[in-house]
Amino acid sequence: MYLPDFDYYAPESLAEATALLVELGPAAKPLAGGTDILVKMKNGLASPSALVSLKNLTELRDIRWEPGRGLVIGALATHNQIRDSEVVQQHFLSISQAAHQLANNQIRNRGTIGGNLVNAIPSADLPPILIALGASVTMVGPDGARTVPLESFFTGPSCCVIEPEGEILTEIVIPEQDTTGSTYIKFGLRKSGALAVVGVATAVTMDGDVIRKARICLGAVYKVPVLAEEAAKVIEGKTWSDELLEQAGRTAVGCCLPISDIRGSDEYRRDLVRVFTRRALKRAITQGHV
Amino acid sequence: MSQPTNAAGQPQNDPKLPPREYTHPGLPEPENKDYAVIGKSKPKIDAREKVTGQARYTADLKFPNMLYGKILTSPYAHARILSIDTSEAEKLPGVKAVITHKDVPTLKYGISPARWDENIFCSETVKFVGDKVAAVACIDEETCYKALKAIKVDYEVLPAVLDPLHAMDEDAPQIHPEYPRNNNTEIHQDFGDVDAAFKQADYVRTDFFVGNRTYQAPLEPHTATSIWQDGKLTVYSSTQSPHYFQYYIAREFGLPMGDVRVIKTYVGGGFGGKLEPTGLEFAGAALSKITGRPVKMFYDRAEMFAHNRGRHRQYMKLTTGVDKEGMILGVHADFIMDGGAYTSLGIASAYYAGAMLTLTYEFDNYRFDMHRVYTNLPACGAQRGHGAPQPRYAFEAHLDNIAKDLGIDPIEIRLKNARRPNTVTPNDYVVNSCEMVACLEKARDVSGWRDKKGHLPPGRGIGIATGSFVSGAGYPIYRTDLPQASAMIKVGEDGTAATLYTGATDIGQGSDTILCQMAAEAMGYTYEQMKIVAADTETTPHDFGAYASRQTLMSGAAVKQAGEEVKTQLLETAGQMLDFPPEQLEVRLGKIFAKDNPDTILTTFEDVARTFFVRKGPLTGRGSYAPPKLGGKFKGAPVGTSPAYSFAAQVSEVEIDQETGEVAVLDVWDVHDCGQVINPALLHAQVHGALYMGMGEAIWEEVRFDKNGKIANPTLGEYRLPTALDMPRVHSSLVPSYEPAGPWGVKEVGEGATLPTMGCFRNAIFDAMGVSVNSLPLTPEKVWSALREKRKADGEEVWDPMTCECYLED
Repeated sequence: MYLPDFDYYAPESLAEATALLVELGPAAKPLAGGTDILVKMKNGLASPSALVSLKNLTELRDIRWEPGRGLVIGALATHNQIRDSEVVQQHFLSISQAAHQLANNQIRNRGTIGGNLVNAIPSADLPPILIALGASVTMVGPDGARTVPLESFFTGPSCCVIEPEGEILTEIVIPEQDTTGSTYIKFGLRKSGALAVVGVATAVTMDGDVIRKARICLGAVYKVPVLAEEAAKVIEGKTWSDELLEQAGRTAVGCCLPISDIRGSDEYRRDLVRVFTRRALKRAITQGHV
Repeated sequence: MSQPTNAAGQPQNDPKLPPREYTHPGLPEPENKDYAVIGKSKPKIDAREKVTGQARYTADLKFPNMLYGKILTSPYAHARILSIDTSEAEKLPGVKAVITHKDVPTLKYGISPARWDENIFCSETVKFVGDKVAAVACIDEETCYKALKAIKVDYEVLPAVLDPLHAMDEDAPQIHPEYPRNNNTEIHQDFGDVDAAFKQADYVRTDFFVGNRTYQAPLEPHTATSIWQDGKLTVYSSTQSPHYFQYYIAREFGLPMGDVRVIKTYVGGGFGGKLEPTGLEFAGAALSKITGRPVKMFYDRAEMFAHNRGRHRQYMKLTTGVDKEGMILGVHADFIMDGGAYTSLGIASAYYAGAMLTLTYEFDNYRFDMHRVYTNLPACGAQRGHGAPQPRYAFEAHLDNIAKDLGIDPIEIRLKNARRPNTVTPNDYVVNSCEMVACLEKARDVSGWRDKKGHLPPGRGIGIATGSFVSGAGYPIYRTDLPQASAMIKVGEDGTAATLYTGATDIGQGSDTILCQMAAEAMGYTYEQMKIVAADTETTPHDFGAYASRQTLMSGAAVKQAGEEVKTQLLETAGQMLDFPPEQLEVRLGKIFAKDNPDTILTTFEDVARTFFVRKGPLTGRGSYAPPKLGGKFKGAPVGTSPAYSFAAQVSEVEIDQETGEVAVLDVWDVHDCGQVINPALLHAQVHGALYMGMGEAIWEEVRFDKNGKIANPTLGEYRLPTALDMPRVHSSLVPSYEPAGPWGVKEVGEGATLPTMGCFRNAIFDAMGVSVNSLPLTPEKVWSALREKRKADGEEVWDPMTCECYLED
């Protein structure tokens, strides 16, 4: 548990940061909140030759609503900043609530949404709700910017599409939409400071009691956060009922492949997917964005 | 100064206290008018230093030229050491010493003298992942890690024993050649006639339960800074017992105890894990001797888990015979304990496991069989409640099963069998004060048991369990005739301050505070004028330290005697000054008055103390305490003996998510018989803390291993201690009680409140769902699984999540 030696840079602009990362090569890593990379370094699981701190890129901390575009969250916004943001709460209280369930207060004060996504652990709390709400992410590298849907951002445990040489995640956009409700339910083994055993996010577009559209995203039960599309098909176009949502829950179980580990067996996780898919759908249907 | 005396033999003039209601720590409670200083929630004497960050813990200490040391440990659960090459490490710049078993004494040590089975460093085999192999001292911490990496150890990996239930198999690998079949401790005790009792019984039931390996996880990591100079060794340590450290360090290095000084700094929690030497003192002492410089050594969080000495995993079979009214006729406890690679305090843990089961209920026939086995896992030792909490969980669950089978209310069956005061257990423990019945009745009433039991909505349940614990062990850990505790008080020359010198060890629980309250009460002085020097083997008189919940009663008895000696001398001088018979004078809160006229202050403590100093020199008082001879004559009889036993009943109310198995603990009511209370706020804080730990063990905490015997969760992220958000509403209350064997009638509280917790949660879940989870911790997944099994057994449709159509590729 000792932080090994590394070079430290704190560029003043995004262009300077990407240039530095290109120059230093893949052995250099960006540093945002540090709640993942520094811990990995202390545990000997990562040994970057240099850390490029993004702390001076203050424009990446911004959270705002852009008409026509939607909710724009800078990659350096901390979890507590997202939780406390009036703009986030006004449009998608469910994102604020998901940010509040992440880790513990100390981590939420330091950790950033960009770091949470780039770190790409399957049990991360923000991806399910962001994917359910159709978020996209923008990355800026030496060759310019590109935007991808978050659902195709993750490629495996701790792996994502970001280019290791010079690419930096800059913002997350949750588009303007006609969804009427969304929510994220986390099942952790204690009330704070626990990774999700199962996390389920849902977003629905209701027309009276009829479910027009639904998106269900499952966390911690596959190598990446996964959309349970077959489960959504079960309920779309139908009038909701507890039985129907239970059916969706059972179908969602077919959309995950959980492992057995120290936090739960695959059988338990599968049954939790059923339970929390049903509950998360019902909450989004009846309570709106919560 | 009088001879060491037994407080039990002292006349006790204190009246039995009127009933008092306590609620939460921090809330005002009724004033105890019988006493001037005790019975009041005085602020902790070190509170300001701690909350402002000024308190210096061992790791905060720095000395000129200090080196940093770390220990290299085994990556294998069981392996033969073929060779150790330290040459590369020694060449690194900044490395001042590298040591192995060749450089240190080979004398085996431990804490239980019957089984000294540890070496400072392993020489032939390593016995668990984390066993100590070598150590380095370097100019800074970073260099230590480089040096550890540069030490080359060749191992021949051996088959390991990881399953305690197979440790005693004929073909199991042998861990210690001296202990065939990995049999560390075997106990067979038989009292009365259990077989006859079972024959006579109307109903006999057997149940199996499994406890979990848990770890104390104190906030402060173990640290020791050793300074070996001019043939004398000084060790600053985060320890629960400077005395035992001094004794074992001196023994290991062949030094007279007088040449070893152990100083406790502020300690951030111990809970049993810092009672025995940690290895840091031995390695640090050897490194300091070689380098001639102070050496600071510490464990990081993962190393703490590997060093362990936490709760044993126990496999518990209980058989009980009762008559049709539910009266217990006989009990047979048959246990296996996973001891890990070394003995640690495990012999005592093993005895405690069975011996303490006789306390809360009265029965005459009792048989206890125990095997504590060696495994290639970290050594287990004493954790809050020692060996007793898991068997207590098992017995309380077992008793609820019996009550349900017989159709008796769980509280009724406990009231029928509850121990009475002035009784003797079948294993010869003498119980003086005992308010078990009052605790049960009050727990029933304050929890609303009668309204709730059987009337709660689905998923809600209420459960009860009892507990009892020693107020200090009757005998020290190694054989000696030293008194248990001693104390000195020195009044300053102008009488405006007095210092208490005690070997008692404050590890956060507040003994410095309550001992100063006791000193002030005994002297007729004020708490605010007291200072304390504690737990330094050179400047403070002997005391065995903080374990077995001993200090309030034992250290307190010595402090009381010292305070009374000061008071006697003070009033003699006052009598001379006032020309008044001293026996007719009294002193209270520093004011001296005639006993028959308390409203007229004649003079002050300060004036008289100053005059005393001018005439005779320092005004001092001394005290010591040794318990009477306790216990029976059978093998193991001394373990579990104590001058006094606390008693408690706990009720918990839980709500269970019937689909996920998640257990939400809503309320816990703890009702304690802990004798007279010295500091109500600290007492309730102890109840909250003990309950917190018991709750953690009951639902969340478990040290897990991978298939190679390596700890899978040595972090506070994955070893899930409950957080503040997980705490239920805690209602801590007392029943009036007075213990004749304790100073001012005191008994313990710190460990006893851990005992009932696991059982009362299990019983609440049992009440809520009708399912029994027979292994700790009572995790959501286990409850979920038990609920599914029950639904299947009841013929309900239970959807199988493993058989649905899969839309994903692996």
